[in-house]
Amino acid sequence: MKKRIFIPVVALSVLSIILAGCIGGGATGKLQLYANGEDFVRQGFVSKDGWSINFDHVYITLSDVTAYQTDPAYDPHSETDIEGKVTVTLDKVYTIDLAEGDESAPPILVDELLDVPVGHYNAISWEMARAESGPADGHSLVMIGTAEKEGQTIDFTISIDEECEYNCGEYVGDERKGILEEGGTADMEMTFHFDHIFGDAELPADDGLNLGAVGFEPFAEDAESGTVIDMTEMHLGHVGEGHCHCQCH
Amino acid sequence: MSKKLRVIAAIIGVLALGLVVPTAVYAHGVNIEYTSDVEIEIVAEYDSGEPLAGAQVAVYAPDDPSTPWLIGVCDDQGRFSFTPDTSKPGTWDVQVRLAGHGDMIHIPIGEDTAPTGGIGGYTQLQIGLMAACVVWGSVGTALYFSRRRNA
Repeated sequence: MKKRIFIPVVALSVLSIILAGCIGGGATGKLQLYANGEDFVRQGFVSKDGWSINFDHVYITLSDVTAYQTDPAYDPHSETDIEGKVTVTLDKVYTIDLAEGDESAPPILVDELLDVPVGHYNAISWEMARAESGPADGHSLVMIGTAEKEGQTIDFTISIDEECEYNCGEYVGDERKGILEEGGTADMEMTFHFDHIFGDAELPADDGLNLGAVGFEPFAEDAESGTVIDMTEMHLGHVGEGHCHCQCH
Repeated sequence: MSKKLRVIAAIIGVLALGLVVPTAVYAHGVNIEYTSDVEIEIVAEYDSGEPLAGAQVAVYAPDDPSTPWLIGVCDDQGRFSFTPDTSKPGTWDVQVRLAGHGDMIHIPIGEDTAPTGGIGGYTQLQIGLMAACVVWGSVGTALYFSRRRNA
């Protein structure tokens, strides 16, 4: 009699232990990943050399988008790869039009990851890769728009073929991002600062940003631009105002 | 009373003496306590060395990474000071922003540095199952030794 009770009880105990490990696998939530060209893309701006630039389309192709929980927090100035205690990755390639929508359009949702571990995702990496199809086929970045200066109007298409890897620290902005609680939703943002390419007339000419930017003049001379710029030096990718380590090839 | 019980009773009696015998009382005593507060000073500069004068500062405590614990502004030299609450040990995060530029630093405070990221907690079901397993094991162990003693 005791043996008949003992064996089922032991089996039930073992089954409980197995279920405890399998069910849920820990607390999870949803993580959303956004791309943001900011007002420079949505509303246009004046370059450091006086060209008023407005974008119709800014196609950027993103791959290997990965979010990390790091401890200690990743320092992009260290110029090392990110080592995360938790790592989650989008496994697709995305061509995003950063100019999509009107002047007040929100950042663009690239994709979302369901049932990822909770915690603070405080680092992100991605590659700006050459598209293999679509409106940016063959290029990693395509900027289409108009530029005006002193009565002259130019329709331009600027294509970048360099592929760049961005390893970024924590988002810096009005609020912290990436803090995911059980059953909740958190977001992270890849921010693109196009004033770093063309400069900004609202800043002094000797401001570090303008000194590093190429302006629009090189592209004005060839509207279907073959102008080559060093994307590593442009520091296009950011996380809000936070920094990324960039390597282009 | 067996010899073993006499020994146990003697030990208990000696320990009890420590509770009932009055200790000496000193009048006009002085108590001195100290607390050690840590002041943190940050200095924020551009890469050129120019200070981030007037930059916005937000300090986040380890126990609430979403809500600023303190908000302030850097002085003309890009300096900002604060005294963290040392009852909240862990990594304190300080964000500095000015005119589209910004950065964040992470300062460990206290004996242990609390992790900034988690690898996931346990659900209520998992906690319940683990507790039940521990209780079952304890009961089973007690019954086992009880049977051996009675055998």
